[in-house]
Amino acid sequence: MTAHDWGDLSDDVAAAAMLAEALDAVQVRGVSYADARLIEAEELRLYSTLEAGVDERVENNLGIGIRVLYNGSWGFASLPVWSSADLRTAAERALANARAADSVSGAYRSELPPLPPASGRYQTEVVVDPFGVSASARYELLAAVLSAASAPAEIVTAQAGLNAKRQHRHFASTEGSVQHQHFIESGAMALVNAAGNGTLQRRSFPNSFHGNTAQAGWEYVEGLRMVEEADRIGREAVELLTAPLAPSGYADFIIGPAQMALQIHESTGHALELDRILGDEANYAGTSFITKDAAGSMRYGSPAVNITSDPTVPGTRGSFGFDDEGVPASRQPLITEGIIQNFLSTRDSAARIGAQSTGAARSDGWGYLPVCFSTNVFLEPGEGSTEELEERLGDGFYIDDNRSWSIDERRHDFQFGTEVAYEVKKGRRGRLLRGFSYGGTTPQFWQSVEAVAGPEEFKAFGMPCGKGEPKQWGFLGHGASPTLVRDVRIGVDR
Amino acid sequence: MTDSTLDSREGAFAPVLDQEQATGALEAALAAAPADRVEAFITSRSGDFTRFAGSRVHQSQAIAEVQIMVRAEVDGRVSRAAASSFESLQEAVARACRSAAEQAAAGVAPAPARAPLPQPGTESGIAGVDPARLWGEDTAAWSVADHARLADRAMAEAHALGGEAAGMFGRAVTEVAFHDRESGLSRYAAASEAQGSLTVRIEDGSSHWKDLSRFSGRLGVEAAIDRTLSEASRTRGRAKLEPGEYDVVLGPLAAGELLDFFGAFGFTGSALGAGVGTVATHRGQQVASPLVSVHDDATQDIGLPFPFDFQGVTKRDVPLIADGVARDVVTDRETAHVLGTASTGNFHIAREEAPHAIPMNVVLRSADSSEEELIAGIEDGVYLQRFWYTRTVDPVRTTITGVTRDACFLIKNGRIVGPVESMRFTMSVLDALARVDGVGRDSLSQPLMNVFNGSASAPAIRVRGFSLGTAPVMRGRS
Repeated sequence: MTAHDWGDLSDDVAAAAMLAEALDAVQVRGVSYADARLIEAEELRLYSTLEAGVDERVENNLGIGIRVLYNGSWGFASLPVWSSADLRTAAERALANARAADSVSGAYRSELPPLPPASGRYQTEVVVDPFGVSASARYELLAAVLSAASAPAEIVTAQAGLNAKRQHRHFASTEGSVQHQHFIESGAMALVNAAGNGTLQRRSFPNSFHGNTAQAGWEYVEGLRMVEEADRIGREAVELLTAPLAPSGYADFIIGPAQMALQIHESTGHALELDRILGDEANYAGTSFITKDAAGSMRYGSPAVNITSDPTVPGTRGSFGFDDEGVPASRQPLITEGIIQNFLSTRDSAARIGAQSTGAARSDGWGYLPVCFSTNVFLEPGEGSTEELEERLGDGFYIDDNRSWSIDERRHDFQFGTEVAYEVKKGRRGRLLRGFSYGGTTPQFWQSVEAVAGPEEFKAFGMPCGKGEPKQWGFLGHGASPTLVRDVRIGVDR
Repeated sequence: MTDSTLDSREGAFAPVLDQEQATGALEAALAAAPADRVEAFITSRSGDFTRFAGSRVHQSQAIAEVQIMVRAEVDGRVSRAAASSFESLQEAVARACRSAAEQAAAGVAPAPARAPLPQPGTESGIAGVDPARLWGEDTAAWSVADHARLADRAMAEAHALGGEAAGMFGRAVTEVAFHDRESGLSRYAAASEAQGSLTVRIEDGSSHWKDLSRFSGRLGVEAAIDRTLSEASRTRGRAKLEPGEYDVVLGPLAAGELLDFFGAFGFTGSALGAGVGTVATHRGQQVASPLVSVHDDATQDIGLPFPFDFQGVTKRDVPLIADGVARDVVTDRETAHVLGTASTGNFHIAREEAPHAIPMNVVLRSADSSEEELIAGIEDGVYLQRFWYTRTVDPVRTTITGVTRDACFLIKNGRIVGPVESMRFTMSVLDALARVDGVGRDSLSQPLMNVFNGSASAPAIRVRGFSLGTAPVMRGRS
């Protein structure tokens, strides 16, 4: 027995037979391509709050999503699978929807350059199965985290959380690809609010976006030292109540990995999604200031900026063996020494600019069709420690942990705030400040990057993201080492 | 896997299940559950969503989802388990009961007490909402082919103007069933939903429209396409706007976006219990203009009315702000018990969140002014069609930041005189609502992010003094 032996879809052979049955229903004249994803997902979530005690839930779902390309028009349908008849029903609905799309006069007809069949298996390497952890161990950890976080009297709300997720994701296409992926995630979070002095101050760990979730076993949670960190953020929240307000103006500062992950997500990942660049998301998620001919020529950042998409790096929510339309995972340089090299693309969007997909077709699950989402989009480390970077900074600030975030629909004009900022004087970190914010434009910001700390300071974060109508969630990875920026506008949110 | 297919009404616009099937399955599954108390709800949502952009329908989708969530209580401890099929329901019941028992054995603190459920018979399955407000036969007849035709028209006419259209037309059926074994209460309702949204971009100009309703006929899609095309044309050649404070008319979509934040700014039972937020600190005080009334109200014929929440509690009209005065909060059974009140039917359980009560069907009450009349009252100001990517900056001061987007115009002497570029804004929501001196007649509704069956509905409002732009500072090190 392994951590992947659970549920109704652990058998790859049986899943492949179900996928074949579904695809068989769309083998009709006019269909040039179809793919199907059969997915079972199970998620365990425990939360404990001061006011409501423990809330525990485990959620299981199983269903199929099918895409059909009929006369160059896409159709998609999804359905929970209650019986084998539902496989055919979903396929027939996808075909019907493709035919409806085909009725549009003068419609652009999609042509997918053929992809050689790619079959295989991918699974998360797990030391401790999070679903095998005893209930008492989970409850004890949860209680200890909440107790530590809420110890100071000024804490008015506190929340501790633990989570685990496991998935069987099976894929097949009419091109002959058959893929089986088995994922396991583990995560934790702590969040507090302290009130006093006419203000409310929030602190979070390991990240302010639902904590952090890794593609790993329970060993990841054990390594977070949640109780010690919860104690720290509780005390820091109280300290922030009387901390001086961060100043306004222009400043040099170092951005910690968690805030950099958000910066990358909003101003790099989204800006490089090719479906946005081509206008597919103009009505909902927005467009991009980056143009479709930018690859190879457009200066995006300083020479210190090297950003890659690399789902082959294990351990985060953006790690996989194949994307959700069957493209094998590969490392892709997105920005090299500040120059845009490539986009996050799907087969459809890449074909429209005469390129190959970079393997960024992602979906929430069986219910939603794949769209461009980030994979693991990382700012590549430079060299040196955080302390050395602070010495290089001289006078400025060290900031981290997002408090507020907003960016325009072209991913150009942004304004971000952080939970914490530390004054840095002559290379030494000093007092804590509250209410730090910074803003500007994406190119200005990335061209202000002077240096990135080394790989030993690198941290990755699993993050949720929303896109599409109806909205679906994407789960992805972003990471960075502390990053030094010069002459950036601060104090912009007052 | 079973031999029974999920949806026997192939092609029909109908609930995935039906009342007898849904409540019958819950009653049977919970009957012998080894728990002190057990309840469950089913949500299903099945819809067609036609997304289009440029010159094609690029995402023609038929999406159906089912979730069945069981809540078991053993010795005061609570656990939930969810499944997506009747076959897995029994296992979900067993898991919830087993997990609650494990909590008890581990000495986990008991779950908080809850306000009681009504006795069966005292509230019918659709009490509080006229059933006629839930289901539109016009929506049932609004087919995928109709969506494609409308998309075709919008794209073709945008092209004729030298631009591009993108958007979505969709319809869905939402179904919720609830059963509580101990009280014997069973509830069920199904509702139709029609949605439309459109963005037209012509050169540097753009305009956006969005609305949702139980009734497709109320969307007025053809007229919305005409208006959006026309506005996109009129926003070409945008001028820069200097940062500063302006009298503004917020269009219905911009005004509606402000309603998104009432959950974060203290209009919830948990915030009141913790002593934080607007109601905890300003209850009974004037926090907005007397012209402003904001309610959480799923009983009215606007947005997405629905009769009860996932705890089986009847929804009601909750005045959050009445005539400018901070009044009340939304609750679920847990927070209602803490506050010594009855639940308002606002239990919310979402992904990656602890369950909590939030506003779900937020309505800014309309008045009788047309947008033109609101604009006519401004000598020198700005019309803002919508906001984009608004987020909380300071929950105590109710400050948010975002950018203006799409059809924004300069107003001179009561008339729109020309388009202006988008700008960042950082502004207190309650400060803005305190400066309202005019409220419009015609509302638009939009989805509330990450809220099942959630909507925010608002008319245009006129605000005297709205801060736009980021104040410039002298360059130099801080």
